[in-house]
Amino acid sequence: MCGILGLFNPAGVLPSSDILVSALDRLKPRGPDDSGIWRDESVLLGHRRLAVVDLSPTGRQPMESVDRRYIVVFNGEIYNHRELRPRLNLLGDWRGTSDTETLIEAYRFWGMDCLKHINGMFAFAIWDRVERTLFLARDRMGVKPLYYSHGNGKFGFGSRPGALSMLINDDGLEIDSEGLRVYLELGYVPAPLSFHRNIRKLPAGHCLLVNARGMRRIRYWDYRSIKPDPSIDSRPEGDLVDELDSLIQNAVKVRLMSDVPLGAFLSGGVDSAIVVAAMKNSGVGHPKTFTIGFTEETYNEGPAAAKAARYLGVDHIHETLDVNSLLDLLPMYIQEFDEPFADSSAFPTMAVARLARRYVTVALSGDGADELFGGYHYYPLIDRLAPMLGWRAATKRASGRLFNALPWHRTKLLAGALQCRDTVGLFHFLRSVSKDYPSLVHPEILESTANSESWFSQFAGAFAVDLSAAEIAMRLDAGLTLPDLFLQKVDVATMAFSLEARCPMTDYRLVEWAMRLPMRFKVRDGETKYLLKKVLSKYLPAECVYRPKMGFAVPLAKWLRGPLRTWAEELVHDDTLMSRLPLDKARVRELLRQHSAGDRESHPLLWSVLMLLCFVQTHGARRALPVMAYREVA
Amino acid sequence: MMRSKKAAPRVVFLFTEIFANGGIQRFNRTILDSCGQLGLHGRVLSLNDSPESIIEGQLEHGNLTVVGFSGNRRRFALAVAVVLLRGRYDRVLIGHINFLLLTIVVMALRPFGRTPALLVAHGIEVWSGIGWWRRRALSRVTRILCVSRYTRQRILEQAPALIADHLIRFPNALADTWGRVEPVPTARALPKPFILSVTRLDRGDRYKGIATVIEAFSMLADDSMQYFIVGHGSDLSFLQLVAERCGVKDRVHFMRGVSDSELIALYQQCETFVLPSGKEGFGIVFLEAMFFGAPVIAAEEKGAVDVVRDGETGLTVRFGDTIEIRRAIERIVSDAGLRERVRAAGRSLVTDGGAFTFAGFTRRCAEVFEAGETTVA
Repeated sequence: MCGILGLFNPAGVLPSSDILVSALDRLKPRGPDDSGIWRDESVLLGHRRLAVVDLSPTGRQPMESVDRRYIVVFNGEIYNHRELRPRLNLLGDWRGTSDTETLIEAYRFWGMDCLKHINGMFAFAIWDRVERTLFLARDRMGVKPLYYSHGNGKFGFGSRPGALSMLINDDGLEIDSEGLRVYLELGYVPAPLSFHRNIRKLPAGHCLLVNARGMRRIRYWDYRSIKPDPSIDSRPEGDLVDELDSLIQNAVKVRLMSDVPLGAFLSGGVDSAIVVAAMKNSGVGHPKTFTIGFTEETYNEGPAAAKAARYLGVDHIHETLDVNSLLDLLPMYIQEFDEPFADSSAFPTMAVARLARRYVTVALSGDGADELFGGYHYYPLIDRLAPMLGWRAATKRASGRLFNALPWHRTKLLAGALQCRDTVGLFHFLRSVSKDYPSLVHPEILESTANSESWFSQFAGAFAVDLSAAEIAMRLDAGLTLPDLFLQKVDVATMAFSLEARCPMTDYRLVEWAMRLPMRFKVRDGETKYLLKKVLSKYLPAECVYRPKMGFAVPLAKWLRGPLRTWAEELVHDDTLMSRLPLDKARVRELLRQHSAGDRESHPLLWSVLMLLCFVQTHGARRALPVMAYREVA
Repeated sequence: MMRSKKAAPRVVFLFTEIFANGGIQRFNRTILDSCGQLGLHGRVLSLNDSPESIIEGQLEHGNLTVVGFSGNRRRFALAVAVVLLRGRYDRVLIGHINFLLLTIVVMALRPFGRTPALLVAHGIEVWSGIGWWRRRALSRVTRILCVSRYTRQRILEQAPALIADHLIRFPNALADTWGRVEPVPTARALPKPFILSVTRLDRGDRYKGIATVIEAFSMLADDSMQYFIVGHGSDLSFLQLVAERCGVKDRVHFMRGVSDSELIALYQQCETFVLPSGKEGFGIVFLEAMFFGAPVIAAEEKGAVDVVRDGETGLTVRFGDTIEIRRAIERIVSDAGLRERVRAAGRSLVTDGGAFTFAGFTRRCAEVFEAGETTVA
């Protein structure tokens, strides 16, 4: 796990190595162990290393291929690299045991097709000295981030937008209008958008080819069109449980490759428990597991995790915090996310990463299971709501008026859901942070940009036909929410403490299998993660498996009415700060007032706004936003 | 041509629409052309056609009288009832399942005579949602003319009590008129090379897969390649947005108001015709493309597989799979041998002796209108 950075300028004008070193310093938490630079007349590559595999100098980067034609900077792990080595026609001996060396030789051998062969989490760039071409790729499910910038005849890339911004000599933060709008609708910025106007995020499963003529973005892996396989319905359930168990065990086993101590997060939920159970089955004697518990019962998963740990026989390390103490992490939260990011579960994720880093360098996590196996409460809900979309317009209008007239917030949301045009729209409505609250951005931006639903629609255009509403929702979550919200959170929160997180549930073989699995094995009679729970039942008693989902929640609504209220008020009433953003001040302040007064539960949207303001306060001081900046839509 | 010594049957046709673009409309026109050639007499009641469109449509066979109702459902239902109760006819052709219940109920009230009723099952409208009443009504129909194998299979899955022999495959064919249209150079400049799609672009038609073609197109190595999309509809701005996001806004050209002659020129000059639709009932547009020599790429879905067989009459891809679509385009463009084989095989389907010629369609019409003495009570 590392940080990468680079610049390609065919005209040959490159920044000095000092600038590259300064930019690399911003990646230091991602790679505290070493750093390296490589340059020629038109390319500059930089790397910060967190040594996990092959701790010797032979694992240093940037690394050349054996024929010296290719140079790579690589962030991530190739889990099957040892299996690949015998298949590569190496001209000589291997220099070391690192997966980086395997990757560069795989590219030398297969070219772009190496992506078909490698299984891992990765973001890398390879410079071809002969063809004068830069090749970049991001892993299939987007576990590792990769940002890029293309314009003014040069191309830059990096693991974090902040470092990239320094490298491309961006003379000040300029907010991307569409990124801003989408962020305020969703609470995160999905790829390829980013919050920075000149920077884009490479979507999961894509690669880039860049040369002096231009840039081409290619999708190399796509699960969207895989159909649920009806023949699975007729198979005995026990067979499916065993097959899924075996797939998970394999996904976990390959992720145990490490030359440094390795453990796992254990929350007390199904996903992390199943990963830990697979670790045990893979021959890890007593893996270290980590949990953060809270003194407040409502948020405390500590006892459930401890119980699961006892049954699984692991070395469990548990820290109990006052939930309010998480607020100590707020400055770090704001500093580490180079884009505004509004998922408050980043707090406990950072806390557990901090705890784990005291003992291990690598931790396995259960992220991805909810999206693949139907873990969220709204999957059964969306199936129940979807038939309403087919009602006649007049019926929808009348019902909407009725629901709106009722005093409850939920009925008002139902009225909003009724206005959706299709399943994608309904999912977008349920997933958005803004819901039915009027847009907070200036009308000029609304006129000149597309809304976030259009990104969902575009992504869903490739879905297999005849999917149920819940299946559509799950695929949207897996393709957009998972990489750019949840996996980004895990990456940033763990990297902030130089901890490498690995997510076995994002193994592409598991993903493809999950896409073929019919819906009734995911959600059945309102029971979420049906088959996954059956697998876990092999290792844990029912009381540990069938318990209400808690998630990594924090009392955000309460915080914003209590300890964070003054801070929030200061932020939204800071006219200088507000004037840097094209926001409707009155609406923002009304949002805070309504929430503070208890008139409306608006904490997801309010938190998004506050994170945005903090971000601009922290990162945006270099240049105030010119008013016209957000009118010029690319 | 029908060779019966008996007088030609008199037929009542109940259609949703005839004179507009769309697969169902083209099917209706083709069947009327065939019936005209067969010398059938009859009345055609068309729900959505207006009197003006009927005049403009210039149906060529004087023994068929067409009446349009401009979308007025009540007037249409009344006219259907009157014609079916009073009229003298030997067959009823129900052009859409939405008219089935009305027709069966009215015919049951008919005081004299037992008349065979035929239903045309096109595609999406019968693939799901056939409830109890419709299943009962279907059992009273003499023949169900299914445009594709998939449509037939879906009906039988929903109504297993039906006699399978009553569901016959009745594929569409290339309209007779296409063979008579002379291609003319389009007035618009056509930068070559280019790929082509022809389809409706409505929001409800996203299953046509145009957004996925745009994405696949953006990944092609040849950045001189252009993409022409002929069609219009409510989703145009969304598709333009997709093209912009994929960085190919300047190479994706949306065209509307294209004449038949221009369209033929486009078919003839394109590198490949791409329509990886997920829910094509049959895909008459594939036949048109094949007739004019365009190699076809389709999705391996529903009715399209009756026409486009992978590696023979075209290339098929998994619906939505942008990687496969890109590879298929690249294969067709780069492999001249494959392109010629596919072209020749595709064209053989719609020229002399092919499975989807107008002559073959007319023969099938003759068979179904002559047969079917089983009657509706």
